[in-house]
Amino acid sequence: MLETTCCVCGESGVHSLGGRWFCERHHQTATRERRGAWRSNLGLILALVVFVGLVYALDAFFHPAFTPSTLLLTGVLLALVPAVIWLGVFYQQDRLEPEPKGMVLGVFALGALLAAAVGMPLVENVFHVSDWLYTDALTTILGGILVVGFTQEFLKYAAVRYSMYNSAEFDEATDGVVYATAAGLGYATVLNVMFVVQNGGVDLGAGIIRMAVVALAQAGFAGITGYFLGRAKFEHEPLWWMPLGVTLAAVANGLFNWVRGEVTRGGVTLSGGAANPWSGLVLAAAVAFACLGAVSWLIRRNVQSALAAK
Amino acid sequence: MIPSKLSLGDRYSEIAVALLTLVALLAGWLTMNRVQSRALPFQADGVSASVPSGWIQSEPGSDVILQARERASSGFQTNYTITRQLTSADGGQNEAVSLLTLQYGQELTAFRILGQQAVTVNGREAIEIAYAYVESDPNVSHAGLPVVVRGADTIFLTDQGAIIVSYRASEAEYEGGLSAFRRFLNSIQF
Repeated sequence: MLETTCCVCGESGVHSLGGRWFCERHHQTATRERRGAWRSNLGLILALVVFVGLVYALDAFFHPAFTPSTLLLTGVLLALVPAVIWLGVFYQQDRLEPEPKGMVLGVFALGALLAAAVGMPLVENVFHVSDWLYTDALTTILGGILVVGFTQEFLKYAAVRYSMYNSAEFDEATDGVVYATAAGLGYATVLNVMFVVQNGGVDLGAGIIRMAVVALAQAGFAGITGYFLGRAKFEHEPLWWMPLGVTLAAVANGLFNWVRGEVTRGGVTLSGGAANPWSGLVLAAAVAFACLGAVSWLIRRNVQSALAAK
Repeated sequence: MIPSKLSLGDRYSEIAVALLTLVALLAGWLTMNRVQSRALPFQADGVSASVPSGWIQSEPGSDVILQARERASSGFQTNYTITRQLTSADGGQNEAVSLLTLQYGQELTAFRILGQQAVTVNGREAIEIAYAYVESDPNVSHAGLPVVVRGADTIFLTDQGAIIVSYRASEAEYEGGLSAFRRFLNSIQF
């Protein structure tokens, strides 16, 4: 009996897709091509790059003076900007295909909470990664994948898996990407806020670039996990499917961390060393674009092949 | 919101993800231990030791045989020092301890002895003194607050005087670095 019930709402299934049964309503949603999510993510990437350029230019032209407290406050507000941009673009794009706003915000908050309560204490206070991660390239890659990557990607997976995944609102394969991106941006927001607080504020120009890089990267890797979650919900996948998704996201996370360190490291001159944060932003934007673009394309292809196989 | 039913495959899948993450973190822990226990051999003036890899080594000369400083730590740099101190032939450990505390009392700001005990390291008898002082950057334009430093000196007596092995770290880093210092201390041969 269980085999023929709708995998979304539990009612009687009348259509079968990818080894799962669907009721009439959820069969329609499961086979819907939803472009809004991809446009939101693309909007996030573009808007963030534009915003970073704007803040950087304002900082360079006006050289604003800050007191320690206004510097801290400005930094914290800037840390919230990537999430605000994404949510703004998402809500704009989501008018025709609405996702419950409270649920999206809830997963965002859960991602942030897991980052603050589990992720950061585990990475910083248990593993003390800042003491050993950057010893050499191999250690940076291995530690970046095994400790930082798996911790972050598992928590983003958990934020979706143990909240929205079993909900009837999770009724499209794209929802995996939407909710995972929300969890990823929640995680990124906490990383950025903690960075600002620990340093008592940040330099406006370099600080906004760092925040954009963290947000884009976290959203991009979460997109990978989200794609695997969406497929796992709507198709019968083998046991290794979801572990593969989290592993791919963790590997991408660790490799990005290392490559970013390599490309942002400036040359050493007689007047000192110089880091190049812009190359990190270009890399992060390219990675986010590639990850989120690839999963959108894969979801679209899956929907089309499912419809063709009917 | 109507929760959908969870299939057995979903249940096994989530267990597999959790197990995989645990295995990855365990492998990460082993990687961390491997990196932190990496050491480079040091030998000078009849003393050999294994210094943590990545630390900055110097041999200032005079009585100081080795000074190794942690490169990664911010603020006060955790450091190990091996010093040779001349003592009178019949002075014993008490004289070495008295000379050392007198010297620290003159050199270090707000120096306080926190404890003193007899210890055995690799079968050798030694005295360990624990202390604290305040490290302040002599550069008056430096805006940072002074740092409370904790230290532990292990004093071995030899025929030529005393060998003093010092560990100093900021109060926040001290406890976390003790096990690595014990490894360093156990590696010393003279």
